[in-house]
This record gives sequence, C-alpha cells and structure tokens, in this order.
Amino acid sequence: MDLKPKPWQHKDLLGIEQLSAHDIAQIFQAAVSMKEILERPIKKLPTLRGKSVGMLFYEASTRTRVSFETAAKTLGADVGAFAVNTSSVSKGESLLDTAKTLDAMKFDLIVIRHASSGAAAFLADNLSAGVINAGDGQHEHPTQALLDAFTLCERFGPGAPSETVPGTGTKTDYTKTVPDKLLAGRKIVIVGDILHSRVARSNALCLRRLGADVTFVGPPTLLPPEMACWDVTISHDLDAVLQGADAVMALRLQLERQKSGLFPSVQEYAKLYGLTVGRLKQTCRETLLLHPGPMNRGVEIDSELADSFSSVVEEQVTNGVAVRMALIYLLIGGGFNS
Amino acid sequence: MWLIKDAHVVDPAQEIDRTCDVLFDNTIIAIGTDLSDKDIPDDDSSLSIVNAAGKYLFPGLVDVHTHLREPGREDKEDIASGSRAAVRGGFTTILAMANTQPVIDNRGLVEFVLRQGERAKGARVLPVAAVTMGLQGNELVNMAELHKAGAVAFSDDGRGIQRAQTMLLALQYARLTGCPLISHCENESLAAGGSMRRGPRSARLGLAGIPASAESVMAARDVLLAQECGGKLHLAHLSTAAAVLALRWGKQQGIDVSGEVNPHHLIFCDDDIGLTDTSLKVNPPLPSAADRDVLLDALADGSIDMLATDHAPHAWEEKAQPFAEAPFGINAFETALAAVWTSLVKPGKLSVAQLVRAWSLNPARRFGVTGGSLRVGDPADIVLFDPDHAEVIGEGAWLSKSTNTPYWGQKMQGFPVAAWVGGELRADRSGMRIL
Ligand SMILES: [Zn+2]
Repeated sequence: MDLKPKPWQHKDLLGIEQLSAHDIAQIFQAAVSMKEILERPIKKLPTLRGKSVGMLFYEASTRTRVSFETAAKTLGADVGAFAVNTSSVSKGESLLDTAKTLDAMKFDLIVIRHASSGAAAFLADNLSAGVINAGDGQHEHPTQALLDAFTLCERFGPGAPSETVPGTGTKTDYTKTVPDKLLAGRKIVIVGDILHSRVARSNALCLRRLGADVTFVGPPTLLPPEMACWDVTISHDLDAVLQGADAVMALRLQLERQKSGLFPSVQEYAKLYGLTVGRLKQTCRETLLLHPGPMNRGVEIDSELADSFSSVVEEQVTNGVAVRMALIYLLIGGGFNS
Repeated sequence: MWLIKDAHVVDPAQEIDRTCDVLFDNTIIAIGTDLSDKDIPDDDSSLSIVNAAGKYLFPGLVDVHTHLREPGREDKEDIASGSRAAVRGGFTTILAMANTQPVIDNRGLVEFVLRQGERAKGARVLPVAAVTMGLQGNELVNMAELHKAGAVAFSDDGRGIQRAQTMLLALQYARLTGCPLISHCENESLAAGGSMRRGPRSARLGLAGIPASAESVMAARDVLLAQECGGKLHLAHLSTAAAVLALRWGKQQGIDVSGEVNPHHLIFCDDDIGLTDTSLKVNPPLPSAADRDVLLDALADGSIDMLATDHAPHAWEEKAQPFAEAPFGINAFETALAAVWTSLVKPGKLSVAQLVRAWSLNPARRFGVTGGSLRVGDPADIVLFDPDHAEVIGEGAWLSKSTNTPYWGQKMQGFPVAAWVGGELRADRSGMRIL
C-alpha cells in the first residue's frame, strides 16, 4: 500500500465533510509533534512569526477561543480578537461587510464561531484568508471532532498501549498507518441532543472516516430518523447499546430545549440518558468518557462520574491545543495560504 | 395589424396543435393555413408579417402567483419592472400578491396596483387582495368592495392563515365575490425557524428543517373547510406528496378546489441545496426527490391544475448571508419558461400542449382573467416562442430589479422572442424576423 503523503491541499477547514481519512491522519501526525512541543519547558516557536490569526467569535466560548489563541501564539503568530456583538448578530454589521473588512486587514487566517450553519463556508467564499470553522450553528465543529478522535487514537490506535500489557505504548507514526482503519472495530456511543449538536455531526463524520462504529442515542425528539444519514446506528435506549462501547460521549444538554417541549423534564432526561458510574459499567470494559464541556452535572453526567473524569478533561485540553496548532500550521505554515 | 406565418400554434382551448398562420390586431382576427392579404379586412398599410417557421405560438402565459414588492420594497422590484420582466418572460397576465408594505387590504391600494400596472405597459397586472387586514389573520377585508375595485382573488400569501375558524369564514364569505381564495399552506408552529425541507439533507447540513407536514396538514384542513362551506379554494405552491393527495381527494369529492406548482419544485429538490447557495432558499422549501416526482406526475395528469412562478425578488445583499438568515424566494419571470422547457418539455415529461394548458388556459379559466386562448375575438395576448433561442442569464437584458435566481450566469435555452398584450408588441428579443 502506498502511504506516501500527498501535500496538504485545503485553504480552509470548514468541516470534517471535506476531509479524507488521509487528511485526518496528516493532521494527527502534525499534532503528535505539536504535543511534544507543548510538553517542553519553553513552548514558544518562531514558525509563524509575521503571520496573523483573527478570532471572530459570534458566540461566547472562552474554552475554544483560548485554545485557538494559545495554539496560534505558541506557533509565534499574532492574534487579533474582534469584539462582535454576541447578543444580537442580526442587528450588527453583515457578515459580508465583516469579511470585506477582514480582507482589508490582511489576516492570514480567520477562526470563526457563529450561530448560523454555513457561516464559516460563507466567510471562506468571501475572503482570501484561510478560515477555520470553530462551530457554525448546528452544522459542524470540526476541531472538536478532531481532538476527540485524536484522543481516541492515542488510547485505541495502532501505537496505543496494549490493553493486556501495560506500558507498551509508543508514539504513533501516522504516516505508517492505514488512515481509514485507525479506529476500526471500535464502538463509540454518542448520547444526548443529537439533532441540535454540531459536535455530534462532526464526530460522526470523523469517526466513521477512521473506521469506528458509531451509535447515536437520545430521545426520539432529539434524535429523528434522518440522523442516521452518516451511516450510524440509531437507538433510543442507552442501556441497550452500552455493552462493548470503547468510548461514550455525553453531549451538553441545552436546558431551554425542555421549554420548547422537546422532552418533558430534566429529571426524566437524566433518568433515561444521564451517565453514571453504575451505568457505564454495562460496557464491560474500560471505557473512555468524553464530554465537549461545559458539563451539566446531574443532567447528562452525574457528579461522581464527572469528578473521576477530570484527568481526561486535562488531557483533552492539551490535545485541543495540539490539534489546533497542527491545523494552523498546515493551513498557513506549511503551504496552502502561505 | 400582425400576420404571423407558419408558426406551430398550440391552443388547447380550440384543440389546435399544428403549423398555421395567425392574424390579429387588438383581438384575434383569424387562424388558418395560408392566410394572406385577402384575409385582411381592409387594406391595412401597417400590416407586419412575421415568418415564424420553427417557432411556437401560444396564448400568453398567465401567472397567478407573483410578488411585485410595490408599494414598500421598490428596491427589490416595482410594478413597472416586474410587469416588464414578466412580459419578457412570456407572461401576458400576472396576479400580484398582497403582501406588500402596506398590505393590499383596502380599495385605494387595489386601485393603485391596477393603475401602476396599466402605466407600466408590461404584462396585465391584476391585484390579489389580502384575506385579512394587514395579513394578521383576524379581521376579514371588505371582500365585496375590493372585488368591485378590481381584486381577482384573495390571499394572505406569505403567511398561512393559522386559525381554522378564520379560514372557514373567509372561504364562506368570499363566495359573495366568486373569487378563489388562495391558500398559502403553512402551519407556523411546525415550520417555525426552519430554512429547508426536513430530511436527511437538512440533517447533514445542520439546517433547521421544515417538515412536510407543515404544508400537508394545512392543505388537508383547507380542502375539508372548502367542502364544509362550499368555498372556492386554490392551493398555492404545492410542494408535498400529501398535499397533492388532499387536492386529488378534494376533486374526487367534487369540492371546488384547484392547485398550482412552481417550476423550482419540479426541477430542484432538497439534495441540490448547498450551505452557501441561498438562491435555492425558497418557501415552501424544495421537496424531497420522491415528492418532486409526485408533483410532476400530478401536473402531468391534471390533478395539479396549473404552473405559477411565485416570482419573489430579493436584494442581493439580503441573499448574500448565511443560509438560515437569507430571505426565502426565487426570482423567476425571465427564466421560468426556459427552465420548464429545458427540464420538463424537452425530456418529454410534459407535452407542449400540457405546458400551455397549465400555464395559460387553466389559470385564465380558474381565475376568470384575460387570456388563455386564441379564439377569434379574444384579446390578442400572444407569445412567440423559439425553442432554439439560447441566452446566458445576466449577459444582456435583464428587466427585474433583482437577480436572485439559481440560473444566474448559466446558459439556458427556449425563450419567448416576442409577446403581445392586446395586440401591442411589448417584448421583443432579437430572433423575430419581420418580413
Ligand atoms: Zn406563498
């Protein structure tokens, strides 16, 4: 099999939809190096000196924004943040006018989060700079999916420590793997409000690209049948699908959905779909728990489980910066937009 | 006076579908083979003779569903630009919807639309008056007065009438006028916030979906209400298989119901939608591929009575937004006939006679308006159509004030080369050879 890497050829990262398994492996390969850099005492690199990255966040999200800023600064890029009115998008400047302004400011890369599906693609169409989608409406959140999949590959991928022989792990060389089999045979359960979740969409696409089996679980109102369109299994019964799950991802529940009548009460939701230590035992194996955060304790995840989960969260934060560094590097350091 | 020679004349009202000549001034004077000077009543020195070999001649198209935006949004379109764009597209009579700012809900505004239409010298413009004051869905307009002033139908189009009781009373009361009540079938609680048809495609794009039931339940409701009160109902822009079923059932029961379909609902489907192509954002949303096939079958078998454009111009900067924020609507006057010709008639899904029946004869009859046939003595509302004429949309002439068409920049084929309204030549593309 020919594994000779093709050069990176994307101007933007708008969604997992546009990425091949090979592209994803290429991002992971770069992320391995970035993670090594993050583990050094002096973290700052001169790689992207003179480059500028603009942060355009129409929805408040400190965690994601800080992760991108840290990634860009660690690579030596300048970061510009725009104060945009997050409360009433429609009343402010149009996205088209914003794009024109950003173009005039000669940014190399724009990171956008926006409440409308397709906003990142719209910006990319109207901007010469590269664009990273940091979440667009209910459409995609590709960097979250990439960091989740990277974490899963560290745990279950080809270079992962053997489940039976501890301490055997090595750093994976992703140039020597078969990208679409990186997570072959792994079962990942994603539970919660799938319908309104860009994280679920991007994760389903990414995990399927890498060969994993994906099961969506949630109440019928938050998981209509058309959500099977990514070749995933659909279930409304969490307990029935947990057995054999290598990882379970709990999505954050927007509590206002209850007011729209999408489920009768938070109590009933927690009873049916909330993750607990006891429930997770039904997987009959050591299961990785993922949560895109911030958590609603006592709703999608109970407190006891949330506490035991904190070590993974820290790992996720580091992986998030590493994956975002890898992307920024590939987009404006390695070739396409440079 | 005009003599059109050797055109392929298609006039379903008289069951004409053959090559012949047509002589007309303000009205049709004669149709026949080998008409010549001797058929002309007096010696008329102003006679223009057109060699129309290879072209079709139809009665002018009648479009019962258009948005001309005047008064209120003249930046998008006005009655002059809209009616001229319409006649350039082959439409000689158009019905203008009432959802302007202000809403056409009083006598003065009905008369205003008529007057602006007469001044424009494009297609004949006939006002549709609102059903309820301000399209609020509560108080009925003075239907009898507005009908007398010139309204040919009533509709709150742009919004569905949510309260069933209001709809029932409106259907009942409109019987005084004999005018159809046009229902924009949309249940707002089901459609709320959506921007395309709910289905696998909306799931994939992460766009909030409008379920097919948002239309279907209202179509079924309105057919039942029309049955109960004997009202005259017309279902606008049908886009779901279940709504077609309601229409078919209504006709079987003898209910006075008709229906229209828009070209875009026959040509495109939800799978054609991309996240940044807002020119395909339309209400009702593009159907599933399966529902599109049902719509086409229903048009072909006559269950759906007519085609209508739902011409809905929008400023380009409104459409240059993320999909969910862009307004609904497709600009259709100057592309609709070419689109239907290329996508439906040429591949044999619809015959030329079916096309003319659905876009001229049936709408003229149902709404009791001028046009629809070429009988001797009828006003000479005529289209000369060249199936070979090709144009790139946007290069050269474009009469609408807006450009929100999915065909912008594309080459299309099959255009009207001339259109007469009451015998007056009001649209003329190069390609008509006057001898
Ligand atoms: Zn409508």
